[in-house]
Amino acid sequence: MQKELSVDLKAVRNVRLIFLALLLLIVILLILDIFLGSVNIKASEVISAIFNNSNSNYETIILKFRLPKAITALVVGVALSLSGLQMQTVFRNPMAGPYVLGISSGASLGVAFVILGFSSNIAPESLNGLGNWILVVASWVGAGAVMLLIMVISSRVKDIMTVLILGIMLSSGISAIVTIMQYFSNETMLKAYVIWTMGSLGNLTSGQLNVLLISVLAGVILSLFSSKMLNALLIGENYAGSLGLNVRFARAVIFICTSILAGSVTAFCGPIGFIGIAVPHIVRIIFKTSDHKILIPGTILMGGAIMLVSDIISQLPGSESVLPVNAVTSLIGIPVVIWVILRKRNYSGSF
Amino acid sequence: MRKDIKEILSLDSLKIGYFSGKNENVLLPPLTASADSGELIAVIGKNGIGKSTLLRTLTGLQQPLGGEIFYSGKNIRDYSRMELAHKVGYISTEIVRVSNMSVYDMVALGRFPHTNWIGKIEKTDHEKIMDAIEKTSMKRFCRKFVSELSDGERQKVMIARILAQDTGIMVMDEPTAFLDIAARYEILHLLHLLSGSSNKTIIFSTHDLQMAISQSDKIWLLLDDRLIEGAPEDLMIAGAFDHLFDSSTVIFNSDNGTFSFRSENRGTIYLDGKNSKRYWTEKAINRAGFSVSNEMTSTYIILPSESNSKWQLSAKSIVREFKSIHELITCLDKEVMST
Repeated sequence: MQKELSVDLKAVRNVRLIFLALLLLIVILLILDIFLGSVNIKASEVISAIFNNSNSNYETIILKFRLPKAITALVVGVALSLSGLQMQTVFRNPMAGPYVLGISSGASLGVAFVILGFSSNIAPESLNGLGNWILVVASWVGAGAVMLLIMVISSRVKDIMTVLILGIMLSSGISAIVTIMQYFSNETMLKAYVIWTMGSLGNLTSGQLNVLLISVLAGVILSLFSSKMLNALLIGENYAGSLGLNVRFARAVIFICTSILAGSVTAFCGPIGFIGIAVPHIVRIIFKTSDHKILIPGTILMGGAIMLVSDIISQLPGSESVLPVNAVTSLIGIPVVIWVILRKRNYSGSF
Repeated sequence: MRKDIKEILSLDSLKIGYFSGKNENVLLPPLTASADSGELIAVIGKNGIGKSTLLRTLTGLQQPLGGEIFYSGKNIRDYSRMELAHKVGYISTEIVRVSNMSVYDMVALGRFPHTNWIGKIEKTDHEKIMDAIEKTSMKRFCRKFVSELSDGERQKVMIARILAQDTGIMVMDEPTAFLDIAARYEILHLLHLLSGSSNKTIIFSTHDLQMAISQSDKIWLLLDDRLIEGAPEDLMIAGAFDHLFDSSTVIFNSDNGTFSFRSENRGTIYLDGKNSKRYWTEKAINRAGFSVSNEMTSTYIILPSESNSKWQLSAKSIVREFKSIHELITCLDKEVMST
């Protein structure tokens, strides 16, 4: 018994140590992300731009562009990874994620309705105040609709791969609808939408960043409340029900939480792939646990860190060009996903 | 020995089944039965009769279509999900596959109804978890992942999980279904132990009739037209198990709880000998389709004794000796074939 408890304490200490290391890593990456970019700025000038009101060009670049972009990257990473973790548990499917199951597509359909459908002359950049909220709510509704559909499908179809294929079909169907909408829209609407689909972390106005921050914060708080439910859902709905969980309520909470997290990100940054599916697996490998009391904070930290790394890479430090961040996240995420598929023995059957 | 024998569960004209569209699909006639604390109850019935549905309904995972279920005298409809989770635990036939879940974490899930909103494991929870792990003798697997265990070990972990849930009643749907013989008896032994020493009421479904008859305190026998409950021996005497089998092919022997196949009698044979060798030779001869006669017959067998270690078969004009029952039966089959 004595030995058992000491093993427990050691495990707890290890987990805390990793959390601390990840936190430190995020701080370092945040600083790096601000210091590095297409325009070479000396470190001393970055510091003076942040702390002194020098009103130089550099200050504009740092405070108006790099800093918000770094914060956006952090928030996007947290939100996508967290929604991926929740979806993997609630669907008991290691391949679940907002991008692969078409949740992001659903969100973009919501955005398309706002940009292409109703207002003829607003571009996302010109949206402010209420407009931002309209955009984000439309995105939630779109994400939620697809999520609901996937939930209905996965309650009938138990096979992981079938659900996955249906998710891909759903995404394709939604892009087809959006294409049709594009065909019938005018030039300004089209331009606004195309710019939006390119997806970027750097195009957010401060108003949009605020909306994103508030939404993701709400999602994070909700997800902390869901950790006990997620643990029970790991062993299936029947067992969770027999443990006293109100399964319908739990599903609703997680459904809302995921729609908010994935929807908000998609509303302002476009569809960003493979972070949501890959990060939870990386976290499981590091912590070797299925306990969401550890996985949720772990995913928040790791998601933020990996998205910051993606952003740093996408700026191609030292060069003048910038890569689309979506390409970078795919290149980081896809190997993880492939590795999970190939290591299927441990993930066989259900999740 | 048990001090507090009391009725902990009772079913009153319970109707179970599914809603298919607007229609009620009632599986069995109204069921009336009861369970006392510390009883090991086997639910027996043919496939598809509604054993799983009954167990799911008892656990509250499925609504009854009619009738009542009472836990400690209180109607199941008056319990909240959480309150019910303090009364009854459940193991389904579903094999749980979760990666990266340690045995400890799986058992800790049993504390779900007892922990706070975030699921924090307090000292008392930890003690209950370790106690459950020890009672199922899984302590050395504590840090192992559930996915690395054998079928039998995993089932023990599932049992530890409901032990940690600390319910008076445990409902298990075919807990021994996919286990090998050794694990099967180990699990049954564990159930027996828990119902006895920990005073748990365990209701489990099984297809293993002989195991159920020899180990359980009570049997709920589900037949197409009724539920018969009672001690296995009561049911044996009443000949209740005969209803389970197609009597044209299987004979259930209510004297000793064994069953045999009905086959045409190929003749009678006299056995000369005694003790266990006689018992097993008789069984083998029965299996080959012969009956044993008490009087001398034209075909007879002299069993091994101190002076002779071989079986001696005398039939018609030949006399042969065999080293084993297997050889004896093979020859017997041939002899009869040839006539």
